[in-house]
Amino acid sequence: MISRGFLGRRRPAAVEGRLPPGQYLVTDFPVLSAGPTPHTPLDQWSFSLEGLVRAPVSWTWEEFLKLPSQDLTVDIHCVTKWTKLDTKWRGVLVDTLLQSAQVDPSGRYVMAFGDGGYTTNIPLAEMVNSQAFVAYQFGDKPLAPEHGGPARLVVPHLYFWKSAKWVRGLRFLDHDEPGFWESLGYNMHGDPWKEERYSGD
Amino acid sequence: MPAALEWQIGKVTRVITETPQTKTLTLALPKWVAHQPGQHYDVRLTAPDGYRTERSYSVASEPERVGEIDLTVERIVDGEVSPYLDDVLMAGDQLEVRGPIGGYFVWDVSLGGPLLLIGGGSGVVPLMAMLRHRAAEHSHIPARLLYSSRTADDVIYRAELERLAAADAALKVALTFTRGAPPGWTGHQRRIDTAMLREVMQPLGNDVHSYVCGPTLLVEAVSTALVAMGLPAERVRTERFGPTGT
Amino acid sequence: MDDDDTDMNTALMMDGNAVAGRLEDIFGRDMTTAVTRCAGCSSLAEMGALMAFTRGPGVVLRCPTCEAVIARIVETTTAVYLDARGATFVRIGLRS
Repeated sequence: MISRGFLGRRRPAAVEGRLPPGQYLVTDFPVLSAGPTPHTPLDQWSFSLEGLVRAPVSWTWEEFLKLPSQDLTVDIHCVTKWTKLDTKWRGVLVDTLLQSAQVDPSGRYVMAFGDGGYTTNIPLAEMVNSQAFVAYQFGDKPLAPEHGGPARLVVPHLYFWKSAKWVRGLRFLDHDEPGFWESLGYNMHGDPWKEERYSGD
Repeated sequence: MPAALEWQIGKVTRVITETPQTKTLTLALPKWVAHQPGQHYDVRLTAPDGYRTERSYSVASEPERVGEIDLTVERIVDGEVSPYLDDVLMAGDQLEVRGPIGGYFVWDVSLGGPLLLIGGGSGVVPLMAMLRHRAAEHSHIPARLLYSSRTADDVIYRAELERLAAADAALKVALTFTRGAPPGWTGHQRRIDTAMLREVMQPLGNDVHSYVCGPTLLVEAVSTALVAMGLPAERVRTERFGPTGT
Repeated sequence: MDDDDTDMNTALMMDGNAVAGRLEDIFGRDMTTAVTRCAGCSSLAEMGALMAFTRGPGVVLRCPTCEAVIARIVETTTAVYLDARGATFVRIGLRS
């Protein structure tokens, strides 16, 4: 049956070329998560690069804020079908972080991990060359805890479940291993332009 | 093996405005079965292009009313479904539903009492089903409802609650307002806290069956307080509605 | 539980009642009174009392005592995935 007069929240796509297939536009910023908001105190927070690196590297919050950072404006696409255009962030490019570590040539895959046990996997080649950053500001304000603050990963060219909230580090692996959602039916890669939502897509 | 939960198409026979933010829809159901007070139905809306979304709504009516159910819906600002149910849906329309659902947050007279019901905002809806059922069964199980609303205009079922309490010495209804009380109000005027709970519960003792429903933050605070006051955790049943309301 | 209760993420949290219909689809009967034992802390809880995070790629049910993941559910267009490794058991009452 069709519910008379029901259209849903979707807005017409007056933005040709910027909406991946199956997505609709939102103007708010929906809060989605897999668990309660973690509250790691900043004096206990650290971000590390581990696994197949010559030596693990880590930064305290103070050290992290001193790293060269960028203002970035990107479109984000959630697998639950909402897209938000022109989101503004400030953060540190993964490229910048990698300058402090020597990743083993075999370390071609990354598992991003965060507080609360969340993980997600991304090929290293898709995190370099300005494709990924660790953000600590959204709009012009510190990133709110409900949106992943103090810091989250942002990988805008993949579905937003790959942009791990409350991120605490990257582990380098020699094989692609499924993270939290990838191990339960979601696509290992997650390209919204190819609509790679579920495994088998 | 019981039949899987099936969708059915109900017909809206009546729409009543309860408060500025809430309406009650009466649905005639072709495959009505008696629900337990506290259970809910899932509602599914389908757009012309096939887009679908679902929400759950507690049944407000008592199972003694055969063949139909009442769903009381609170309008959520920027919601996707509740504005449709509030603005567009009217008597004569169809609504796809399935249910009744849920076995945890239920009470009926066979479970006995005393009964302690605590609700915030639209959390009063499943509790109302329990009280209406209790009245339909002419039960005098001691019962207390503590109901938190923003203002007097937001109290759903106010007249009926007053009538039920006036007709039954074993039922007491206490209201509290969190954003402003009417002139001359001598009752509670704050968020539910341990002192208020203690006052409401005191005549019932600790052997109560308690049900707490409403916004998540209210339910968390109240259920924590009840357990801290000595209620066994198994006797404190909760249903969280998410971020709406009081 | 977290001491900061005022963020939207916490406010959006619901409980197992919110996914009762989905669980009934999978198990063919109401599961809100089924009892889970948490693999993390061994506490028992009825599924209706589990913390539920429903607004995401899937549903996550967590232990109300220790917040560990008890179960996860994903619905794709063709299938439902269930991971219940976070429960050392799910006790389902037999019908009388």
